Amino acid sequence: MSLMVAGVDIGSLCTKTVILSAERKILSFNILRSGAVYRGAAESSLNEALKTLGFNIKDLKYVVSTGYGRARVPFADAEVTEITCHARGANYFFPEVRTVIDIGGQDSKVIRVNETGQAVRFVMNDKCAAGTGRFLEVMAGALGVDLEEMSEIALYAHEDIEVSSTCTVFAESEIISLLAGGYEKREIAAAIYKAIARRITGLTGQIGLVEKVAMTGGVAKSGGVVRALEKKLGVALLIPPEPQIVGACGAALIAREKALP
Amino acid sequence: MERILKKFFELTANPYGSLAEWKEKNKKKVIGCYPMQLPEEIIHAAGMLPVIIWRSNEPVTMGHAHIAPFNCGLTRSFVDDAVKGKLSFLDGVVFYRMCLQAQSLPFIIERNACPSYMEYLYLPALYPGASIRDYLIEEFERLKKSLEEFGGQEITVQSLNRSISVYNRNRRLLAEVYALRREKPGLIKGREMQAIVNSSMLMPKEEHNRLLEELIPELKKRSPADQKVRVVIYGGLCQTVQPEVLDLIESLGMVIVDDDMYVGSRYFANEVEASEKPVESLANRYLKKLPPCPTKGDWETDWTDYVIEIVKRNKAQGVITMLVKFCPPHLCYYPDLKRKFAEHGIPEVLIELEHEVISLEQTRTRLQSFIEIIGGV
Repeated sequence: MSLMVAGVDIGSLCTKTVILSAERKILSFNILRSGAVYRGAAESSLNEALKTLGFNIKDLKYVVSTGYGRARVPFADAEVTEITCHARGANYFFPEVRTVIDIGGQDSKVIRVNETGQAVRFVMNDKCAAGTGRFLEVMAGALGVDLEEMSEIALYAHEDIEVSSTCTVFAESEIISLLAGGYEKREIAAAIYKAIARRITGLTGQIGLVEKVAMTGGVAKSGGVVRALEKKLGVALLIPPEPQIVGACGAALIAREKALP
Repeated sequence: MERILKKFFELTANPYGSLAEWKEKNKKKVIGCYPMQLPEEIIHAAGMLPVIIWRSNEPVTMGHAHIAPFNCGLTRSFVDDAVKGKLSFLDGVVFYRMCLQAQSLPFIIERNACPSYMEYLYLPALYPGASIRDYLIEEFERLKKSLEEFGGQEITVQSLNRSISVYNRNRRLLAEVYALRREKPGLIKGREMQAIVNSSMLMPKEEHNRLLEELIPELKKRSPADQKVRVVIYGGLCQTVQPEVLDLIESLGMVIVDDDMYVGSRYFANEVEASEKPVESLANRYLKKLPPCPTKGDWETDWTDYVIEIVKRNKAQGVITMLVKFCPPHLCYYPDLKRKFAEHGIPEVLIELEHEVISLEQTRTRLQSFIEIIGGV
């Protein structure tokens, strides 16, 4: 192996690692729950990704960390924000993309990207987790279903109802009231996805929707969110095969540039 | 130098104690003023100490029984201080029609802080012509007369001109500090600059002038930090911003070369001309259209042009919007500012500031992404 670099994305919910070759080929990746000890999570995720290749940290030429825990990774050679990394990563999978919607565990971002994969402008959600992965988890918990099941049942919703999109805690209380009011889970699930789509459409409006549009981050795995968002935005979303590793992949691409200028 | 800066930091961190102490020692009256537009010189000439009202360091608690939580930090904190009895050292408060959020405050302050003296000025928000100037002069004369009655001391042309000259001196000295920073960015930290200007609002100008005269030569001896990504900050139209945010900007590799902030370059902009009719001179200063103020309706000047001019003059690489949450005047203009910055190819990032909460980690991500966009990774 001539040269290997890694990108580690320590998110609020999960830690992701991508190992990249000099030829910009993804050699392996790993996704792990972050837990409370960010440093441990970064190291474990990186070791797991390297183990499948039969290598260890010493074999890496350069490591870039990103995500909320980015500043606390002692073995990283540089730290870069997830905004820059998602832009770079989305460009790797879809060079024609100009808008990236990244919905992660605890925040959501809309990023305008240029043809070289550089972030030009961005908006982020502010304080509340409404419209994020955590929001989905809380809502699924309130409905007593898992995330896949929630996406599935929403397909069969008949009635159109609304759930607040501004606050996770208030939305949860609304769901409990709706359940108590006799509404079916399928209708409520569909309303939850619509609430997320409304929230993200608000963010997208601040940047302007320029096609093509990619969706990255763990929430892109939720069919329910993707369907609701495509309907609300009126565009088809490009989704990489593993959307959760796009940030780590962007970090690895930056690591490769640093190692091989 | 460190001694003077320490004094400024102490005063701005806890103005209550310092002002009560000053009052006790000097046996003079302390008058709280709404920020931005009031002619402090008239209060000064009446032999009293005008101080600009401030945001406390405490979260708003009891005040929320009187003011909505969606008011800005300054108005909420001022009301909270009044309700908690922290403003008892104020002998008077001068209000004016500053913005929508500030309009209900006089009633709450009257009930809860019970100052002996209260005056409300109706400063014109539009510039339709000469009649406005006449009206404004009358309004300032009214303030002068009421202060004379309250203080029992006549405000003469000479005493008002003396006060104007003390204030002009302060403006010139603050401008000098700003020129130093423009010349050698990084010489003065963002939090230091804010404390330098803020302390001028909270102590007698004569004393502040003396301290600045001592401080400036010392500042010149400092060596500036390394040249970094040059940015201009603007916003915070009537209040301070959290110094932690200014620290964060600098720790991420940016240097603030200039600003368009109230507790910044706005406070000392435009001197008052010396004349035989000082009240008219004060009115003339109020009617100046620059720096453009979003609480005054003026269709001829453009706030964005003004900020862009500061950016160009300082060869800055980007602009940071310091938006005080729930500030209608700033929010009203923000879409326009944002669009025009983009049209001029000036990178801009929005930092929203709230009295109680600053999510520093999120702010860090925003600012770091901003510097990555400007300077690359």
